[in-house]
Formats: sequence, structure tokens, C-alpha cells
Amino acid sequence: MRDLFRGKLVRITAEEPETYAKSEIHWQRDSEFVRLADSDPIQLSSAKKIKEWAEKRFEKGLKPDRYSFTVRTLDEDKLIGFFGLRIDLMHNEALVGIGIGERDFWGKGYGTDMMKLCLQYVFSELCVERVSLGLHEYNARALRSYEKCGFRLEGRTRKDILREGKRYDSLWMGILREEWLQMQNGDPI
Amino acid sequence: MKDVFTGKLVRLSAVDPEEMSKAFTRWNRDSEYTRLLMMSAQPLSSAKAIQKWMEKEIEGVSPTNFFFTIRALDENKLLGGLGLNVISWAARESFIAIFIGEREYWGKGCGTDAMNIVLRYAFTELNLQRVSLGVFEYNPRAIRSYEKVGFQHEGRMRKYLNHEGKRWDLLYMGILREEWLQVQNGDKT
Repeated sequence: MRDLFRGKLVRITAEEPETYAKSEIHWQRDSEFVRLADSDPIQLSSAKKIKEWAEKRFEKGLKPDRYSFTVRTLDEDKLIGFFGLRIDLMHNEALVGIGIGERDFWGKGYGTDMMKLCLQYVFSELCVERVSLGLHEYNARALRSYEKCGFRLEGRTRKDILREGKRYDSLWMGILREEWLQMQNGDPI
Repeated sequence: MKDVFTGKLVRLSAVDPEEMSKAFTRWNRDSEYTRLLMMSAQPLSSAKAIQKWMEKEIEGVSPTNFFFTIRALDENKLLGGLGLNVISWAARESFIAIFIGEREYWGKGCGTDAMNIVLRYAFTELNLQRVSLGVFEYNPRAIRSYEKVGFQHEGRMRKYLNHEGKRWDLLYMGILREEWLQVQNGDKT
């Protein structure tokens, strides 16, 4: 059987809210990271606030429609990022959000490895039929990574993001269960 | 499209804890009813205690528990209730408990009708794959009703209960999505 929590470069972890807050407070100061990850106005939160958020998200009330994970590198055991899932239980569909806060780990395959783990978890453990995600047009690195994982570009909301006086599109991608299964080359899941 | 919550004799409606707790205290005084419904010795609780429990358990929005009351179509009388619990969204498996508290309505098809409505809800609204239930050997009326809507006998815990100096079996029944679709026989769902 596969190890659901271990990829080639990273592993999925659970973190103490305090540990997570320490990393997040450092990540949020990188405005480029926040702009790639989110379309909300950039804000700075106190470590206390982040810790409280993490306590709520990680510790209280595990819900069948919400999953939050953190990710560490295999070689140095460094906390580099996170991913979260929201499941539409009735339609058996998942929306994923993913990010690497540590910019030294951008463009080196860590995100792709994370997303592969994420897809493995959603399709083989949660048994969903499809996974969706959204990204900004100006995040070419992410687009390429998602394509490598098997996501297909499904649509775009034109010019809905305004950054530095320019308007950009939001892109929507998706992968179906059959498509993911085909990529597994018949390996047991 | 059919009204999902209306059957031939009854309809499903929301649980009003105040109304339902009053009905519960009345029904619970009928010891034959509680023996058909519950395994444990039934303590008599005050309406207040039951209402408090319901407000907590039933009114809190949960993506895994679905509670309804059963009402007669003709006079809107409160007859009973049901709870559908999704055991696993990944497996899309659920467990149902159903009861008609008003004994003048026993054996008249109201329970069967309510079960038909909730199965339609489970399979066409929640898109579940199976519905399970447990029933006591000494409740042939319920067993017959479950058989009528398409439940199959799946297992038996021998001599599971002790009542009036005798031991009785607990039966397990279940219905699969495909089986239910077949029963619908071309009915528009």
C-alpha cells in the first residue's frame, strides 16, 4: 500500500498551532507570496491571531467537509507550506487551496509533489469525483505545476483581478477521478 | 419534478424542538413503543430535558445528520420522526432510524411512506450509495415495512437483547442505490 502522507520531496504533517503561527507570520511578510496565493488585500496579522485561527482550524471540530494540512520537506524537515480542502459532500467534489510560504522552495518541484499527495488523498481516501482549483493569470509557475499534476484549464473569469493598475484573469482548473486514475498507470491506490 | 418531502400519506417537515419534545414525553410513556424503538431501558425525561437535548443535537447544522418529523398529509398531525446519519461520506454509507409515535397510525402505511420519502432524499438529494438500519426480531411490522421499500436482510446479531425473560436477535438490513433505482421502476425521480 502507498504511504498517503509521504511524497518524493515532502510529507504531510499536523502542526501545533504555535509552530504553524511562527511560520505563517514569516510567510505573510512576503507580499509576493500573498499576492500569488490570494486575491484579498494583503494584511498583516499578529502571531496570536494566526495561532487562534490555527487552533480553530486544526484542533477544534474536525468536519467531514474540511481538511487542513501542513507540509514539511523530507530532507530537512522544514515546514514550507500548506494545503486545504473543502468538500461539497452532496456533489462529491473538492476545492483545493495550496501554498508554499518558503520562497527558497519555489520552482523546485515541491509544490507539484505536494499537489500529487493532495490528489492522492482526495481521490483514494475521500473518494471524490473531481477536484477544482482557482489561480491568478500571473501565476505561471503554479499553472505549469497544476498541469503536471493532471489538472486541465476549464475556464477563466476575465479581468477580475486588479493588481498594480493592471487587470488580470482568474483561471479555473479541474481534474476528474478517471483522469487521475489513468495517470496512476494501474498502480494500486 | 416531485416535491421531495411529500409522499402519499405523510410529509417530512423540520423538527421544532418545543413541539417534538412534548410529543416525545407522551410517546415515551408507551412502553411498547420504546421497546420497539430502543435497546436501552427508557428513562422518562421531562420535556424540558428533551428539548434542551434536541436544541443541541438537532438544531446545530451538521453535514452528517439529517433529522425530520413525519406529519400526516390530511390533518398535518405530528406522527413521528426520523434521523439519517451519514456514517462515511467517502463510502457514501448511511444509517437510518425511524419511528411513528402515534400508535393509532401503526400498521397503516405511514412508516413505509415516510421511509420511501427519506430514501428518495438519501439517493437523489444526498447522492448516497447505501442506507442501513437495525431492527429487533420482535418487530415484524417494521421488518415487513422495510422489506416493502426494498431493504434486504444482511445480518443478524443472535440473542442480542434481553426482554421479558427471553433473548432476541438484532437484524441488520440495507438497501443499495442500484436496488432503490430498480424499485422506482421508471418512476421519475
